[in-house]
Amino acid sequence: MDSEAVEEKSLEAFKNLLLQPEKDRIRQIENRLNDPMIRAKETSLFLPEAISFSVLNSNRLSRVIQPVMDASLKESVRNNPKSIADAIFPALGPGIRKAISSTVMGMVQSLNQLLNHSFSFQGIKWRFEAFRTGKQFAEIVLLHTLVYKVEQIFLIHNESGIVLDHVTAKDVVIQDPDLVSGMLTAIQDFVKDSFDIRDDLETLRIGSDRSVWIEKGKHALIAAVIRGNPPVDLRIRFRELLEEIHIKSGMALEKFEGDASSFSIFREQLKDGLGFQNRKVKQKLSPLLICLILAVLSLAGIWGYHTFRSHQIWNAYLDRLKAEKGLIILSAQKEKGVYQVFGLRDPMVDDPEALLQPEEKSRIKIRGHWTPFYSLDPELILPRSRQILNPPPSITLDLSQGILLASGQASRDWIDIFQKTAPTIPGVKGYSDQGVLNMDREKLDAALKEISEIKLYFENNSTRFIKAQEDIFNKLLETVQNIQELQIKAKIQVQIMILGHTDSSGTESLNQRLSRDRAELVFNHLIVHGINPYFLTISGIGTKIPLKSETGAEERQYNRAVSFKVFYPLGEKG
Amino acid sequence: MIKKKICLLGAFAVGKTSLVQRYVHSIFSEKYHTTVGVRIEKTQVRANDTDVDLIIWDLHGEDDFQHVRLSYLKGSSGCIYVADGTREKTLMTALNLKEIAENTIGEIPCVLVINKLDLKDQWEIDPLVLDDMKRNGMMIFQTSAKTGEVVQQAFQLLTRKMMEK
Repeated sequence: MDSEAVEEKSLEAFKNLLLQPEKDRIRQIENRLNDPMIRAKETSLFLPEAISFSVLNSNRLSRVIQPVMDASLKESVRNNPKSIADAIFPALGPGIRKAISSTVMGMVQSLNQLLNHSFSFQGIKWRFEAFRTGKQFAEIVLLHTLVYKVEQIFLIHNESGIVLDHVTAKDVVIQDPDLVSGMLTAIQDFVKDSFDIRDDLETLRIGSDRSVWIEKGKHALIAAVIRGNPPVDLRIRFRELLEEIHIKSGMALEKFEGDASSFSIFREQLKDGLGFQNRKVKQKLSPLLICLILAVLSLAGIWGYHTFRSHQIWNAYLDRLKAEKGLIILSAQKEKGVYQVFGLRDPMVDDPEALLQPEEKSRIKIRGHWTPFYSLDPELILPRSRQILNPPPSITLDLSQGILLASGQASRDWIDIFQKTAPTIPGVKGYSDQGVLNMDREKLDAALKEISEIKLYFENNSTRFIKAQEDIFNKLLETVQNIQELQIKAKIQVQIMILGHTDSSGTESLNQRLSRDRAELVFNHLIVHGINPYFLTISGIGTKIPLKSETGAEERQYNRAVSFKVFYPLGEKG
Repeated sequence: MIKKKICLLGAFAVGKTSLVQRYVHSIFSEKYHTTVGVRIEKTQVRANDTDVDLIIWDLHGEDDFQHVRLSYLKGSSGCIYVADGTREKTLMTALNLKEIAENTIGEIPCVLVINKLDLKDQWEIDPLVLDDMKRNGMMIFQTSAKTGEVVQQAFQLLTRKMMEK
């Protein structure tokens, strides 16, 4: 052994002497670090604390551990599903039951609504809407009925039934909440006891559209009075609120001694529950209603137009009546749908109803009550005079300042009528017939002129007519007959003198007789033909008034004749 | 505002309801008694300088055929037992009800009201028995439904006891 080796050995021994305890400790640490079993045992000691620190500081741990948890859960379910099922069944059971029951409730409710609305007027309206929009009927019903209003919410202490807080919607009439709450609690107990039901009362239905929803927690319950058909998630909101109340005020609820003031902190949240939902679809008027309204409106319109038009026609008619001469309106009014007019009417005025157009007559019923009267309107005096006097066409009537003027030709008869009647015509102050020619007189004068020109000739010294004088004789007869008639008509008495003439040959006394015989002959002829003898006179004047101065034999013949002369025994005026 | 639920208990026809009628307010009719078995009433009393709303659960009278629904008792802070002085049996019923109530919801402040004081000469209840009960801590009021005196006092005293508890 050399000295170096010895030195090393002694150094080693020294080291051992000096560092042995540390060495042992290091080995021990090495062993602990290298042996997983020891480390696992040690880790298990502070793992809970480590986890809670980790949870306190951040949620990193849960994120990190999640995949592991997922994997192990899957593994566990795969390997032993029964134990998992057994474990979660108690928790899952009531939850599922509740979910199913509320779903079924909802279905029943909507089915009920469906049936309710199927045959109603609204139902038909909605069916039409479904048909129009292509949506399902159920959808339409839901759309229309998903309307609700939460009117009141009670927060009630379970055990005592005392109201912890109570909120109401606007415009809702309420009863004393304490009494209502007490009774509500009593009824819940009553129902539970009476029917031996363990489950809590969840809904009270009042009438067709009001219900009380009761959401019960461990120490308190929320009761909401709802009108309409609230959605199911409203109940979830109440449940969440109730849970929050229990979390925040669990102790206060448990040890509740009657002082509810501390629960006012939930007032705002309770108020939030007082929601309502309006109909989503803006209510449209039903087509039927629109038709009805339109029909009513158009009827009213027609009626209004008719009334307006009738009134218009009536007023226009009244205006026309007022403008009409010879009509005086005393009163006019509408009675029982008939327009009635009372007044005075001159007989000269045409039927006032003639002032209505046929089209107007069909629209309006008018009844006139007219009392006859004479109007002094000049425009009516003349027609009235015409009507009364009935003048021949040759006569023109005029009115000037109340004086009735007649002009033209008329018979003596008519002139008489005119003279007698004109002063009696209402409105006529006087009359004048200066412009009237007596037609009969004219004719008479013409006939008289005619006869004075007629001559009948005789043979020399004889009472025999010369030949070919039949025409003249006929003419004479006709004229005399004419005069005979006309003098009666014209009321002028005339007499026709038959004058016998002779030529200058022969003695005067002979001629005198001859002329008279000749005149007599004609006289007789006329009488034979029916002429009134009183109407005729005869005179033989011989040569006293020759018809022609006798310068030769030819002229003499002109004096062997009978001529005619007219006399007016009472004067020319008759 | 403090609110307290109290129960009004007694045998059938001891005049419970008519006893308190004048001092309480209710929106429910008598019919509730026979149908639901309870009628809720309310009154306000002042005790220890505090206004207290008493929510009174006026329970249908106990008799041989009808029992008080025990579930109505829960949450009560106090009880008023009513008996009819002219029928000793009703005192028994009241005490019996007291026992039942205490078994159900525990011991709570209570008062005993003996009604029909106006018919004192017909009383069956021995005053000595009542004295005994008083000595044992029971608060007893005697009154008549006609005058209703002391009813207010009974409410007040009960409230005070409930508040002190």
